[in-house]
Amino acid sequence: MLFNKRTERIFFWVFFPLALLMPLFLAENTFFVSKLTSIMIFALFVMSLDYLVGRCGLITLGHAMFYGLGGYLFWMIAPEYEAVNFWVYTFYICMIAAAVALIIGFLVLRTSGIYMIMITLAFAQMAFYFFSDSIEFGGTDGLFIYVKPETSIFGLSFFDLDNPTHFYYLCLLSLFNTLIFFRILIRSRFGRVVDAIHENPGRTTALGYNIFVFRLMSYVIASALGAYAGYLFTLQYGFVNPSMLAWTTSGSALVMSILGGMGSIYGAILGTFVYEGLHYVLEHLTEHWMLFMGALIIAMVMVFKNGIAGSMEKLLEKRT
Amino acid sequence: MTTSLFLVQLINGLQYGLLLFLIASGLTLVFGVMGILNLAHGSMYMVGAYLVWYFVEHTGSFGLSALISAVIALLIGILMERTLIRQLYRRNHLDQVLLTIGMIFVFNALQGLLWGNDPLGVAVPSALSSAIPVTDVLEYPVYRIFVALFCVGIAALMYFMINKTRLGMLIRAGESNREMVECLGIDIRKLYTIVFAIGVMLAAIAGVAAAPMSSIVPGMGEHILITCFVVVVIGGMGSIKGAFIAALLVGLVDTFASILVPQLSSMMIYILMAFILLIKPQGLFSS
Repeated sequence: MLFNKRTERIFFWVFFPLALLMPLFLAENTFFVSKLTSIMIFALFVMSLDYLVGRCGLITLGHAMFYGLGGYLFWMIAPEYEAVNFWVYTFYICMIAAAVALIIGFLVLRTSGIYMIMITLAFAQMAFYFFSDSIEFGGTDGLFIYVKPETSIFGLSFFDLDNPTHFYYLCLLSLFNTLIFFRILIRSRFGRVVDAIHENPGRTTALGYNIFVFRLMSYVIASALGAYAGYLFTLQYGFVNPSMLAWTTSGSALVMSILGGMGSIYGAILGTFVYEGLHYVLEHLTEHWMLFMGALIIAMVMVFKNGIAGSMEKLLEKRT
Repeated sequence: MTTSLFLVQLINGLQYGLLLFLIASGLTLVFGVMGILNLAHGSMYMVGAYLVWYFVEHTGSFGLSALISAVIALLIGILMERTLIRQLYRRNHLDQVLLTIGMIFVFNALQGLLWGNDPLGVAVPSALSSAIPVTDVLEYPVYRIFVALFCVGIAALMYFMINKTRLGMLIRAGESNREMVECLGIDIRKLYTIVFAIGVMLAAIAGVAAAPMSSIVPGMGEHILITCFVVVVIGGMGSIKGAFIAALLVGLVDTFASILVPQLSSMMIYILMAFILLIKPQGLFSS
């Protein structure tokens, strides 16, 4: 079975049918459709981070670098006034991001623990200043994307990216595929070795695995998916700017992933929806929403150690 | 570049580096002794600057305001350690990162609540407001030289405290083996409270010192925090000597990069950090 926990199956069968039907209820309200779309895009990004931090034990504070890179790469490689094919460019962007991640990962993964947190942050800051200081990339204002890609495969086009509801379904499909992909990856032989490395790197090495290669592969996969999320963000809003790569983006993604339940993958969706939902509600109640958000984060670390997924599992799993 | 301009920039770089040392030393001390990565450290820099602004508005005296601000920072530090940080000693770095991110949110919200989001400024204290002429057109403010000397003084004081006093001996012992210190009958919890509060106070003092030189704005804490990370990582986490040398290095590189390679100036210190970590993954002076 793809999901080995009951909680995960329940989540799967509640979330996806609900998300599938949601636009039918919100047909009039395009604001909520695009709000939910942007949350799903960020959930995809958080999921890739959750795999890296929770599954591989590689704590990074620089994951937003790839989120931003996804957006800037599209601007760089796509012609400005011509609609390109969405699927082809998805492939290009993921491949280029993977190549960048291969080089950076090769350097970053030489360090570990606290040093890795710092050096990933350093690379992300470098990228941040590179884009925010250069005139060619629009500086702090960023850049506009004038033409959105078309999505035909073999002449058939299912999604019109200018239509918010179509874009919503494209993002839902992406989120669904990413979740399934990570589940398959975790259950595969590769995923088992990654879990073993997280558990005990020394012993895994002794068993004859080159742990550096497995870590590097994981880093590359997570980074490419992070870039894909950034690419979707850019397409949704039609712009890209340096705040996408700011360290606060990495920080809040980390908070969401921990809120959801580190390493559970589906928890990333829960964490992002709860965080963004609270953010939305608090922001409308008071301009000092940060105070409550901060208090919530502190309370979470103190009391609520395994995140939402962990607490749900405690409630729902059969005691053995 | 003329000699006088070079000299002015050299002093600027050193002065900036010394200020960075003041903040980074607290960060590295807390990490070295307690194993805590405090992301809210930069917020205390911000708190220091806002506090001194608030008290200067009310008392009119910079010296008195600075003193009150430092004492308040010390009390905030004790409170933070006693209530929250204490719970984290046996947890992993991820929990520490998360908790201190939560604290950043709280500090930023309180700053907005208490003092608003408009940029503020503190006047340079009148005794130090003159400037020393360097050439016919260039002059150098006395206050900046005073701050540099003050930072050197604090560095010397810290060196003395850590190497010559009983408290310093305990700090060094706590760094190398905390169980053994406890076995010798020393209350390590009290030591941790003291170290954390001193670290926080150093950041706040840096904020106080920087207040008359730069504008006081929301988010100033996060910006300086990231720069201090660079300093601490280059110097080696937990090493005060390393932090001192790295702070001067970062100060000089940052200052000269903005004149010599303006396009790369903001990136330069991160390039430096990446380069050093590739050669020495544990920093220059890792303990």
